Amino acid sequence: MIAQILFSLLLCTVFLYAWIEYRRSPVVAVLSSLVALAGLYFVWVPSHSTRLAEFVGIGRGVDLVLYTWVGISLIVILNLHLKLRTQLEMITVLARTIALAAPVAAPAGGPDHPVAPPVSLPLDVSAARRSAKNRALADASGRRPRRRGDQSAEPRR
Amino acid sequence: MESAQHPSLWVICAAYNEATTIGRVVTELGRAGHHVVVVDDGSGDGTRHIAAAAGAHVVAHPINLGQGAALQTGIDYALARGADILVTFDADGQHRVSDIARLLDALRQERADFALGSRFLGQTRNLPPLRRWLLRAATVFTRLTTGLRLTDSHNGLRALTRKGAGAIRLRQNRMAHASEILHEIAQSGLRYVEVPVTIEYTAYSLAKGQRIGDSVTILLDLIAQELYR
Repeated sequence: MIAQILFSLLLCTVFLYAWIEYRRSPVVAVLSSLVALAGLYFVWVPSHSTRLAEFVGIGRGVDLVLYTWVGISLIVILNLHLKLRTQLEMITVLARTIALAAPVAAPAGGPDHPVAPPVSLPLDVSAARRSAKNRALADASGRRPRRRGDQSAEPRR
Repeated sequence: MESAQHPSLWVICAAYNEATTIGRVVTELGRAGHHVVVVDDGSGDGTRHIAAAAGAHVVAHPINLGQGAALQTGIDYALARGADILVTFDADGQHRVSDIARLLDALRQERADFALGSRFLGQTRNLPPLRRWLLRAATVFTRLTTGLRLTDSHNGLRALTRKGAGAIRLRQNRMAHASEILHEIAQSGLRYVEVPVTIEYTAYSLAKGQRIGDSVTILLDLIAQELYR
């Protein structure tokens, strides 16, 4: 019983983690939730895990629970990778802002348009990115931004 | 085509440790009358100074971020300077300056917003067979994932109108940006055209270019991008 409670607490933590991560990565959140749900079920109904384990050729139910836990760990690692990507995007925005604010060389004789002043770094990079792109699309085409799955825009070649 | 007819044409070169070739590339582009912006992506070999001495506008990343990030920085710079046409051009000297005119002609005649160079419609010199096979596979992958009917999906020579450049935003810092641009083009719904160009591989450009293992990295980068917002 003690082990079941401990495992249940751990799996509930995974649920909480999935809920927190949903906004950033729905795919990872849903996968984590499903795996945690399966883990909870088998922790409290181990006989079913044994039957299912035998059905899929694993052998023992406890092995199935172990595999479930490994699955959760891999998903968490994937999410950490995605978080690192987000960090890299923020670093990219920072580096780009620094680079554009102070060109190494800008020969005379070119157009007189000044380089855009550095923008303040957005806390939510992805939201800023989406809004910037939408603005650019709207400005460029004079129509509403196109979204995934939107078939109403002009046809492709 | 004389560039005087295109005063707002900007050529963007992303460069990382290209001291060997960047001077010649910038000089040739400048001789053709083009505005050139070199984005030095954290080089440690004096690339930025050579490019500046050759007459280019130079912006420098404080750290190495990758070709995709450098191109986006160059696009931002050129747009802020009022560019009407933007051309991406590899800094390793494998492209021909004369092909830029063909891209511009195609943009005008086809009323397109993107002109994409194709080495398979044009010519390649010294292209290793294994790389040819890899590029073909990438083209098939692009057709399946974007619906764009292209013959060359990883060609660094492209021309974009201001409207086209504003419609794309590169998030892939490294080599996956080439696929990402095509995804963005497909999503924008803007017109595109392929143009025959010549790519001349040298021992230098082959050493600097992508390797087989990079294709796996590119694939993983593209998948990872789909998994998070």
